[in-house]
Amino acid sequence: MKLTRRVILSAAVAAAMLAQPLVAAAQDLPRNVRLVIGSGSTGGDTYQAASLVADALAKQLGVNIKVDAVGASEAFKAVGRDKRGTTIMLHHDQSYLASLYGVAGSPDPFEGFVVGPTLAINPGNAYLVAKNSPYQTMADVLKAAEDGQKVRVAIQPGGVSEIGFSALKSAARATAPGSEENIVAVNTGDQADKNQAMFDGLADMINGSIQANEQFAELPDDDQKAMRFIWITATPEALEQGPEAGVGNMTRADMLKYASPETRVPRPNGEDFTFDKEFFLIYNKDMDPAQMETVDAALAQVFQQDELKNRLLEAFFIPDYRPLAEASAHLKEKRDAYAEIIGNLTAQ
Amino acid sequence: MADLLAVSIDFETSHLLFPKLIGSILALLGLAILITHRRAIAHSGAMWAQTFAGMDKLRFFGTLILTVIYFLLMVPVGDRWPNTGLGFLICSIPFVAAISILYMHERDARSLVPVLIVAVAAPTLVWWLFTYVFALTLP
Amino acid sequence: MFEFITPMYVFLIFSGTLVGIIFGAIPGMTATMAVAVCLPLTYSLGLDNGLALLLGLYVGGISGGLVPAILLGIPGTPSSITTTFDGYPMAQRGEGEKALRIGIVASLVGGLISLAALFFFAPALAEFAIKFSYVEKFLIILFALTVMAALSEDMLMGIFSGFLGIFISLIGVYDVTNGGNGEFRLIPPGTEYWLEGGFSLLPVLIGLFGLATILEAAEAGMPKGQSLKDIEVGAHSRFSRSVFKGQIGNLVRSSGIGTFVGILPGVGGSAASILSYTATKTASKNPESFGKGNPAGIMASESGNNGLTGGAMVPLLSLGIPGDATTALLIGAFTLQGIQVGPLFIGNNPGTWSSIVIAMLIANIAMFAIMYFAIRWLAMVVAIPKHILFPVILMMCVIGAYTINYGIMFDVWTLLIFGVAGWLFTKIGIEVAPFIIGFILGPAAEIYFVKSLESFGTLSIFFTKSWIAVLLWVLIAGSVAGSVMLARRKAAMKEAEG
Repeated sequence: MKLTRRVILSAAVAAAMLAQPLVAAAQDLPRNVRLVIGSGSTGGDTYQAASLVADALAKQLGVNIKVDAVGASEAFKAVGRDKRGTTIMLHHDQSYLASLYGVAGSPDPFEGFVVGPTLAINPGNAYLVAKNSPYQTMADVLKAAEDGQKVRVAIQPGGVSEIGFSALKSAARATAPGSEENIVAVNTGDQADKNQAMFDGLADMINGSIQANEQFAELPDDDQKAMRFIWITATPEALEQGPEAGVGNMTRADMLKYASPETRVPRPNGEDFTFDKEFFLIYNKDMDPAQMETVDAALAQVFQQDELKNRLLEAFFIPDYRPLAEASAHLKEKRDAYAEIIGNLTAQ
Repeated sequence: MADLLAVSIDFETSHLLFPKLIGSILALLGLAILITHRRAIAHSGAMWAQTFAGMDKLRFFGTLILTVIYFLLMVPVGDRWPNTGLGFLICSIPFVAAISILYMHERDARSLVPVLIVAVAAPTLVWWLFTYVFALTLP
Repeated sequence: MFEFITPMYVFLIFSGTLVGIIFGAIPGMTATMAVAVCLPLTYSLGLDNGLALLLGLYVGGISGGLVPAILLGIPGTPSSITTTFDGYPMAQRGEGEKALRIGIVASLVGGLISLAALFFFAPALAEFAIKFSYVEKFLIILFALTVMAALSEDMLMGIFSGFLGIFISLIGVYDVTNGGNGEFRLIPPGTEYWLEGGFSLLPVLIGLFGLATILEAAEAGMPKGQSLKDIEVGAHSRFSRSVFKGQIGNLVRSSGIGTFVGILPGVGGSAASILSYTATKTASKNPESFGKGNPAGIMASESGNNGLTGGAMVPLLSLGIPGDATTALLIGAFTLQGIQVGPLFIGNNPGTWSSIVIAMLIANIAMFAIMYFAIRWLAMVVAIPKHILFPVILMMCVIGAYTINYGIMFDVWTLLIFGVAGWLFTKIGIEVAPFIIGFILGPAAEIYFVKSLESFGTLSIFFTKSWIAVLLWVLIAGSVAGSVMLARRKAAMKEAEG
């Protein structure tokens, strides 16, 4: 794996140098770069990942990088307008999921843009039930749906929060056709709304995250707010790279119990469904490829040092650098797998 | 009774429910205003004529025109030096100066000096503060 | 136990508060922005010192808004809108300094009461807050909306203006992050590129209050401003403690309302001062004096919005859920330090918990000290010649609009659109105060109304959900009855005069 990465990288760099031996200066990034992110909040995980990476990258390249939390649609517009490399976008899987789910005003990043290197994973995406819920495992949930019980799942529709829900429906259909009708979405907003939906008895299961919900899982059984993890969508590979102590009282070993292959939600092809929320760069499609190489080379450097890696791990991100070409192929593959799940569900 | 109050909301179209409700209330209120205030509405032509007659046209439209020019220029000028906020700085100095002069009553040299000092100092200070200290993006 | 209290810690709180006040005092800059720009600094400061800085910024930023609200009639932040209603009339009759002092004292009271609530009752309050489902939250918003009627000069026009504000706030996407379905609505064809996200609150606010005021002055040919002498004339109505006589109930109630609104996630920070203003006006014996320079209005508004500071920390520290936009950023500060916030936070981190409470206490005192001594100079703002002051305000409005969403030019154009609209509104009788309140509360009203029906499937749920819902209906009825009576009295007075 490491070897191929390095080979691809050096081959790409070599190719770029051969192609443009005279315009070495064009490879430099502009002195002032604006990194627009797909989230409008400066308190969320996207902003954090962006600012950690931007800091390290700016130092490595000797340029200024400002992170601007303009939100997805404005970020796509900003990066779409600027082909000089002065504006770069950072977002996560939401960028293509929104377009797969047909959310109004969401462009397909693989169409009008260059999907760039991956940077980090937030392995936190999870599903929870109330502590006194009859469901102990995902198998119980699928069984209940098969037996005709309605399972109401609180999600924020149209993206990262919905994809696990879609996978669950698709798995229900595979085990017992028709039972997917018993898995219904309760469409809510942010984490506060999802938790509230559970407290109000409006949802049997909620989408959440390890970071935001872990303490609710530690509450005593008789607390109305007590919850229990039932499914973590991250790949075991991503979780294994995380800190052993985990988050709060939840160790890495605890997390692995809720993730594939211990907890299984099958994809249409029989493999386990997994979802790692990956952060990656998105470039203007006409940006100078030599500049993209510069970014790749600098990222390769900073991801080899411990400083960035440790800072990412401290904030429960898994370092996940892949150079442009490899990342692009990887994300496309991921997109296609999810497109199949969503397509199957909407086709019927 | 319970049946009368029952409503079922389709999530797919739920974005239209509230706008329709508010729109209808707005239309009703508008109608009520048309009826109760009909005299005032009938005289609105005269009101506008009076407004324009009594208006300081130079200062009012001058403000609007200068503001539009200021907004229009900021982005293209800033685009020459991307992400430095210079578009803001370069456009703000003449804008502040021009509006100040427009609003002045006695335009003599003695009162022009503080105006010009402020027009240069204020945007520069603000630009420096936002770009370098707070690291915020300006045009 | 208190080893975190170092000179550095205290220094950071003071400087944070000072910077926060400056941010709050500049029209268009908010406490949220102050915290956002300083967030990256906290990594190197460590947890206690980092939080000290951020909490200073938060308390200062919420408080600073009263300065331009009172002196210029431009709310520095959305939560100081109701301060303009009575503060600006006072400043216009030369009582700016007095109004500032009242506002600052009220801010301190609000901040301290809410801090006490946070310190003593945080877990219990959080427990109570989760009893508020969509239904109760909708009714709270509805109660806040009833102030539209109370604030209007002409009842029918005022209510129309309020609904117009709600309608315009609905333009754009039905936001998924609030629970919507992500579909567009009310966007004129061809403007999707700009309007898909709708109009942002802050540019609308500073357009309606800032730019519109300047346009009016320009239309009138820039009448000469108040001279320093006028301010000194204001000395005849010196500030004294007697202003607060009979207002203890008002201060406590408003601080309590502010705290409580802070505790409810999603209801929104600006609702705090609107609600306490509504409640105070409803409870007052002479409601008609509000909006004309009644000190009680300033007290309600300012103790309400500072009450927010302690309140918004309650769900953050006892549920891991921010109570408003600024505290949402504090979550980022905690995770950067590898600290989790959630229901176990206080028990697991007693040291950080006391450090937070003490930082907020010092920040409130710092806010009071800094502003109280700066008042003399602040009040002189009105003496700056308008031809110098207005262009600089215009420029600051532009910066505020451009930076509020981190660099979107359409927000600057929004400022101009609503500046012109605000000028037009005064000509055709649309009232700005109810309009902006409708605009602020519209999106929350929508989401809670639609979600209540979506979840429970019947309109009767608004009456039968819980005793809290019934109580809220009583308050709503009281507020509506109060406004109707007020309107009748006004009409009768007009007849008697005419």
